[in-house]
Amino acid sequence: MLSSGTILSGMGVGLSAVTAEVFRVKPAGAIPEAAKHAGDNAAETIRLKQAIEAVAAQMNELAAAADETTVEIFEALNMLLEDEDLFDTAVIQIEAGWDAGTSFIRAVEEFAELLSGDAVFEERLADIRDLAKRVAANIAGISLGLDLPKTGKFVIVGEDFSPADTAQFTDAVIGVVTIQGGPTSHTAIICRSKSIPAVVSCTGAADLVDGMQVLVDPVGDRVVVEGKEADITKPLTFVAKSKDPIIPVRANIGSLEDAIAASASAAEGVGLFRTELLYLSAKTQPTSAVQAASYEEILRAAPAGPIVVRTIDAGSDKPVPFLNMGHEENPALGVRGYRLIEDHRDFIIDQLESLELARQASGREVWVMAPMIATASEALEFAELARSAGNFKVGIMVETPSIVYQIPALQGKLDFISVGTNDLSQYLFAADRMNPALGAMLNPWQPGLIGALKQISDACAAAGIYSGVCGESASDPAFAVLLAGMGFDSVSSSRSQVGAVRQALSAVSKEQAKEVLTAALTGSNAEEAKSNALGVLSAISEN
Amino acid sequence: MTTTKSSVTVLDPIGLHARPAGQIVKLVKESGLEVRMGKAGQGLVKANSPLRMMAMKAKTGEELLIEVDSDDEAAANDLIAQVQEFLKG
Repeated sequence: MLSSGTILSGMGVGLSAVTAEVFRVKPAGAIPEAAKHAGDNAAETIRLKQAIEAVAAQMNELAAAADETTVEIFEALNMLLEDEDLFDTAVIQIEAGWDAGTSFIRAVEEFAELLSGDAVFEERLADIRDLAKRVAANIAGISLGLDLPKTGKFVIVGEDFSPADTAQFTDAVIGVVTIQGGPTSHTAIICRSKSIPAVVSCTGAADLVDGMQVLVDPVGDRVVVEGKEADITKPLTFVAKSKDPIIPVRANIGSLEDAIAASASAAEGVGLFRTELLYLSAKTQPTSAVQAASYEEILRAAPAGPIVVRTIDAGSDKPVPFLNMGHEENPALGVRGYRLIEDHRDFIIDQLESLELARQASGREVWVMAPMIATASEALEFAELARSAGNFKVGIMVETPSIVYQIPALQGKLDFISVGTNDLSQYLFAADRMNPALGAMLNPWQPGLIGALKQISDACAAAGIYSGVCGESASDPAFAVLLAGMGFDSVSSSRSQVGAVRQALSAVSKEQAKEVLTAALTGSNAEEAKSNALGVLSAISEN
Repeated sequence: MTTTKSSVTVLDPIGLHARPAGQIVKLVKESGLEVRMGKAGQGLVKANSPLRMMAMKAKTGEELLIEVDSDDEAAANDLIAQVQEFLKG
């Protein structure tokens, strides 16, 4: 029995909290074990066809009462359910002797194998498997309904909810807690669109039972047993105390449209200009004149201040057609970013020279950096290429662990570095960014990442190299304060977050930012590091 | 029966996923034509199964071959143009 006040951590969805009684979703009746049929292939095939039609009809019925997002999802799911190839594959299983339900599940698994290993499809796979279960349940005459209460107010708790489950949510569902599922799971998407407070990936919720009172506190990423109004975590508000932030806040852009939008924000220049978009749809390498013209347009539109341009960051998972990248088992660890220099030196030089033409024509201050640098010699080679191509400040991205140890060797050779925290986390923790099961390791508040960032900032200060951060973490206002406390010289945020990050960095002094860092460093895990830092921040903003 | 052959490019930022696959299959079924698609060198598959299309794992920027069996070349080209539209995401 969980005692009053017990905190169960997960990942919050939404900004408002709710208190209500727990309603545990009963585990559905078990699907019968795989079995053979009595020998009548034709009868089993008809049975399967009818069951698929019945499940499709149920889904349409659920969709009729649902919101627009759900309707679209159901239409896509029904197309998969009624897939002809899937049916034919199941019929082959029936002919091999398996009964209708088993055959359909086996057919779905055959496709699941073809689709696995690809993050975009992984979550759809769960949906398709759920459909297979429904077809098998229909054949076996088992009900998979959730039987949710229609009146009252409840926090429903379950493993994870499929589209067919969430479509059955009644008005009595005012909060949702799932034991599995991440921030991009179907449950999270639906709760966000329906504004239902939710906490997902909450392992401790397995111990919640019917009748308990709980507080669902998404801002605090937690569920509190018998939590009260006073336990609700409020979103931090920052009151600017000075006109300028303690370090410059730049914007991340990837297109002309981004550059225009960013110049309407308070961003001081651009901290990351991703150049891939200009090449992804080109079938042949654009001429230098074409490249220079698009760069010039973007440089002119960008917000006032320096513009940090990253040379092409393509790989076999984001291929550029004219660079002919082959298939790789492990694209994240493959030939990507600056490693293209082996086969495509001319293209990288061409990109730098086009950029120089655009720099001269626009009169803007341009810094260039190369992605995916792992050794000091790569960094030095790039610096030489860039300096002979144009009048740039020259730097590199720091996103591989190996280069962190080489920063002293770059003293006097580079003007700046910029940390890409998303890839740095992926490589530091050996955790695939695209794998939803590893989301918790990629939390920027992980003490391991905070330690690495501190080391990078210290090494840069010692070597006299300007340092910035342009990864996702720099878009989180509280984390940006932490980065300023470490000694980074600037941050670059997604353009929608520039205002919020500036506000936070204008609400504290450098000394206070260091106090926030000290508090975060005492955390022994990501949750503690974050809550310690937020504790100091809220004390500062109240004074 | 004439076969019109062409190519289309996946421009959708998340590749050839469930939605465009479903849209293409719906269009093909409504047209009543036999349409085959696939990556160069990997053999073509009939475009009547969204799962089979997703199993090609076509990524943003990749080119796909497309073949339409129809004596009405204009109709075939219209269909190919529409498929390219769906692949824009």
